[in-house]
Amino acid sequence: MLKIENLHATVDGREVLKGLTLEINSGEVHAIMGPNGSGKSTLSYVLAGRDGYDVTEGKITFMGHDIGEMAPEERAALGIFLAFQYPVEIPGVTTTTFLKTAVNALRKAHGAAEISPVDFLKLQKEKTAQLGMDADFLKRGVNVGFSGGEKKRNEVLQLAMLQPKLAILDETDSGLDIDALKVVAAGVNALRAEDRSFLIITHYQRLLNYIKPDVVHVLAKGKIQRTGGPELALELEENGYADFTGEAA
Amino acid sequence: MSAVVAKNFKPVEAVRAEALPWLADAAALRADSAPQWIKALRDTATESFTATALPTLGWEGWQYTNLRPLLEGDFTYSPAPVAPAGLPAPLLADSYRIVLVNGQLQKSLCTLPEGATLTALMDLAAAEEELITAGDLGTSPFVALNTAYMRDGFVLDIPKGADIDKPIEILYWHQAARDAAPAVYPRCLIRLGENSGMTVLERHAGTGAAFSNHYAGIVLKPAARLRLYRFIDENDGLCLFGRTVVRSQKNSVFEGFSCVSGVAAGRQEFRLQLLDPAISSSISGVYMLKGRQSHDFSILADHFEPDGTSEQHFKGVIDDQSRSVFQGKIHVHRPAQKTDGYQSHHALLLSGEAEACAKPELEIYADDVKCSHGATAGMLDTSALFYMQSRGIPLEQARALLIQSFLGETLERVSDDAVRALYAARIAAWLGAETAEAA
Repeated sequence: MLKIENLHATVDGREVLKGLTLEINSGEVHAIMGPNGSGKSTLSYVLAGRDGYDVTEGKITFMGHDIGEMAPEERAALGIFLAFQYPVEIPGVTTTTFLKTAVNALRKAHGAAEISPVDFLKLQKEKTAQLGMDADFLKRGVNVGFSGGEKKRNEVLQLAMLQPKLAILDETDSGLDIDALKVVAAGVNALRAEDRSFLIITHYQRLLNYIKPDVVHVLAKGKIQRTGGPELALELEENGYADFTGEAA
Repeated sequence: MSAVVAKNFKPVEAVRAEALPWLADAAALRADSAPQWIKALRDTATESFTATALPTLGWEGWQYTNLRPLLEGDFTYSPAPVAPAGLPAPLLADSYRIVLVNGQLQKSLCTLPEGATLTALMDLAAAEEELITAGDLGTSPFVALNTAYMRDGFVLDIPKGADIDKPIEILYWHQAARDAAPAVYPRCLIRLGENSGMTVLERHAGTGAAFSNHYAGIVLKPAARLRLYRFIDENDGLCLFGRTVVRSQKNSVFEGFSCVSGVAAGRQEFRLQLLDPAISSSISGVYMLKGRQSHDFSILADHFEPDGTSEQHFKGVIDDQSRSVFQGKIHVHRPAQKTDGYQSHHALLLSGEAEACAKPELEIYADDVKCSHGATAGMLDTSALFYMQSRGIPLEQARALLIQSFLGETLERVSDDAVRALYAARIAAWLGAETAEAA
């Protein structure tokens, strides 16, 4: 599904990813763990196609397409979704308008007709209820005045509404108390499917107690340093990242 | 100040030479059958304009206003009757209508509510005070020019206690007359009797180039309520300069809104005069400019007595090399205690070459007032754009959504739902054209 080969990427001209290679198959859940500054968030932005994050070498293939030069919306249309570490506030655009515009934009990209207002409201109501979200959020500006936990829930709501093929979760656990973490994890787990993959980017092992990964990678100094099973996450929790950064823990 | 005066000092003869071409077409009016009071006003105004000509960049309040499309244009005033062609359908199907074509009142096209009276300016035997007290002509050359051509226009009277059931649309339509771009100088007076209420949709539209210099006086008798909603259609050939003076009496309410979809050059002046205690008077608006268009909102809220509220809230988007100007002033005179005065202007720049000039001013002589102003200019939030794109929303659509929500906030000032929808449609149409041009 996703194949990253020898990826080098710069942020504002500074090289952050230095030869990253990674392959995710359909239905798999991969976790990428790493210390601060290892390039975790850069990887998520490079995959989503953010301006200013430039691929200088290597190749990213998704569903058979070379996506390196694609606009963010084209990648989204192929099925890539990024749950932001810091979801953006958009005053004046209600969450409902935002969701409906996104749902219809994706449908249009796939050559499908717009969703009927009734079907949309039904879908939105169902997904909101599953995440224990107050319907009041939908009338407010996107993420405006939301708490940290509410913003992360809103990310998972969008994930549930847009049904991507690959969901990248960038530090979705940061700033969440344990109850919110459980709700978010349950939301993600409900979406696990044979034709949907997840890339979970996290600093801590805590989230992985609730979303069980198939594969765990350690990212440091812009490269995957080690790959293993779920037990690798526990080992990191125990020993820290010092083995991979060359610094004392 | 002395430096400014010195820089712009011109010999009397030079100013006169600049002024006379603007007055040339008024010769056609000299032998007309205007009542004496109109002739006297024309003479006074002609003398005043001859001594000032049009304002220059050195004039206070005119430093930022672009007059070039007006100065470079070729506009002709003609008192000859004109046959209306291509008039647009009413903005709202269920409304009354007053139609002016090149400033000339088309009585046969007007429909009026019962009780209202509409009088052509030339049919007024005696001067109406509100038509004369237009302000100091020497500092208002456009008003002087309008007065020098005083002929076209009307007085609309709404009787005491009347609640007009449907909006009245006043259409200012301009069209080429004998292949010449028209110069038009309509002068209108709207008077609402005590405790009456009305909604006016004022639309400025037309085909081809035109110079429209309008003056509107509005009088709100005690407890009268007027909603004035102005629409200025996009027209790259229109030079629109006008002043609207709202004289509010005790307990009256004025809610004004203006939407500009783009003009070659424009300036809308609003003078809100809160003459008595306990008045609410507000003017807000949105503008959308592109290419080399320019527009100026110049507002003065004048609080003379206590317990008044005035609000001015404006937002605009400017693209390409366009320029917007906002000059807003709240003047609180010494007796006007307990005044609430609010003012804001926010400009969204879609291009690095667009220019927004904002001059908020407060002049307060009373000591127990609440006044505020705020002005910003900024670009679209790139992280919000990326956020939307990452959800599959194409960049152009994401931009449109952000702009719509930016301007949409100001539409909340419009209390009439149907009119708010009309304004929202204008914004959407402008954005649609922008997107099509960009693609």
